[in-house]
Amino acid sequence: MNGHGVPDVLRRLAIVFTEFEGRLEATPLIRKLTRGRFGLQDYQVFLVNLRQQVKDGAAWMSRAASNVDEEHLELRSILMRHAVAEHRDFRLLESDYVATGGALADIREAEKNVGSEALSAWMFHQASQPNPFGLLGAMWIIEGLGSIKAAEWGALVRDRLKLSDDAVRFLLYHGKNDTEHIGAFENMLELVLPDAAVAARIVKTAQVTARLYALQIEEIAT
Amino acid sequence: MTRLLDAFITGAGAFLPGPPVPSDEMENYLGRIGGRDSPLGRRALRWSGVRTRHYAIRPGAGPTHSNAEMCAKAVSAALEDAGLERSQLSFLAAATTQGDFLVPGHAAAVHGALGGGPLEIASFQSVCGSSLMAAKSAWLAVRTREHAAAAACAGEFSSRWFQPTFYEGTALVDAKGRLQAEADYLRFTLSDGAGAVVMEPRPRPGTLGLKVEFIDLVSLAHQYDPCMWAGATKEARGDAFGSWSHAGPPAAHATGAMALLQDFDLLKRVIRAWIGVYLRKVDEGRIRPAAIDHLLCHYSARSLREEIVALLDRTNGMIPEEKWFSNLSTVGNVGAASIWIMLAEFLRSGRLRPGQKVLCIVPESGRAFVGFMQLEATA
Repeated sequence: MNGHGVPDVLRRLAIVFTEFEGRLEATPLIRKLTRGRFGLQDYQVFLVNLRQQVKDGAAWMSRAASNVDEEHLELRSILMRHAVAEHRDFRLLESDYVATGGALADIREAEKNVGSEALSAWMFHQASQPNPFGLLGAMWIIEGLGSIKAAEWGALVRDRLKLSDDAVRFLLYHGKNDTEHIGAFENMLELVLPDAAVAARIVKTAQVTARLYALQIEEIAT
Repeated sequence: MTRLLDAFITGAGAFLPGPPVPSDEMENYLGRIGGRDSPLGRRALRWSGVRTRHYAIRPGAGPTHSNAEMCAKAVSAALEDAGLERSQLSFLAAATTQGDFLVPGHAAAVHGALGGGPLEIASFQSVCGSSLMAAKSAWLAVRTREHAAAAACAGEFSSRWFQPTFYEGTALVDAKGRLQAEADYLRFTLSDGAGAVVMEPRPRPGTLGLKVEFIDLVSLAHQYDPCMWAGATKEARGDAFGSWSHAGPPAAHATGAMALLQDFDLLKRVIRAWIGVYLRKVDEGRIRPAAIDHLLCHYSARSLREEIVALLDRTNGMIPEEKWFSNLSTVGNVGAASIWIMLAEFLRSGRLRPGQKVLCIVPESGRAFVGFMQLEATA
């Protein structure tokens, strides 16, 4: 199917996401988690590695909003609201880390890993373009992680490590509103589609974001 | 280069042992772990929607048929349906999850039970998807002119390994005598039977032709761990050296490694992976949902979760539920045999019209595998 309407783009994005999930499934860190060989130290390293890139999320989204022109004010509003809603999430992640016994300074001062560097650079570069609609593809991947993967990982981490909910809040808190997430995303796509070039850009941006996100997880040394 | 021939399904047959068994009698056939009713059974049944199924076992009286015998009966029924004699069959591909023996292959056992003259045979062992692996082999055998009449069969005798001896005294049963859900769930899900199809390079004269347009098989085992397996504990299933054959039979049994097990958490992810493979087929134009007149899916529409149906709807990937044909609720989930048992009943239902397309989908949770077969009815 060669269409570039909302259902076509949504279909390609769903394919990119499921293939991304398969890639994540085969990373050493997630293998440990699903095979029951995940320890507290693995969880702490996971949080430290995630935090640096999560902190950037609202920042690139704000930058993207500032590059949306006046023809697309509704999309700009959505991006700004999103940025506001998420810009403190990394604090939640920090408090989870502290609740597992980690030192706040350790998670705050840690460097981005190689994958996080690549992912962040890519996001800010995209967000700096005029009308960076491709980033809807990036949002699909990152929001999909939040609404689908985070809850699964959070429940596995909590159950395997016998942690209380207050040490897994970042992962568990994101794992809600699955069906709503697709509906809201569909509405966003309708603001910029149908358009062949935009459709292609959204899918390509999702592919690159998924690959770099998986790289970030692959780079977590455990 | 010589062009490949078309291949047609000219006969389909099924064999279901014994009477239909209603849900409240299942444990009379399967036995009760530690003599107690399963706490999980009712929930598993509600989820699968199966009302009756068949077992090749009589309560308290042992087996009635072997897996191979059931397959041989299904092949005979398919040959009968095609109007062929056994002597005209020259190729037999047989599929199963676990045959009657560890060695040799299932096709040899089916040939032994079927009798007749020499045959070329091929054995396929996996889970539900092994049916289409065998079908692809038969299809290519006809298309390449290697054989003028080829059969693909699949059989399951699941109730054997659902007997209490597979679980009692193993780590799968806790101190209170309760069987782990990973094992118990499958006892209420899978049942016995066999099915078969016959393929030839031309339709059976005087009937609606059923051309096999494609058989596509996709494994994602490079990314996913085993999701439904036997021969290892849940912890050891990703490690080939942790399998039963390294521990030795008595030690493996004690850990519960001999039982058939399912990982429910992983299954949710594997379902999304199947959907991804399907949507890729749709996106590439290989499958056109709007052009499908009948869908035979070895998975019930009602057990797909709401968000999956929403996703299929919103991506133009859904085939409307009124086009789904299934007999899962009356014949049970017969693993690899299900798709042929479903196809045989569908072909007898008189629903198929010339020019219509039939899509068969066989997802296999074994290790993230899914197969597709598309048929076209020719006048």
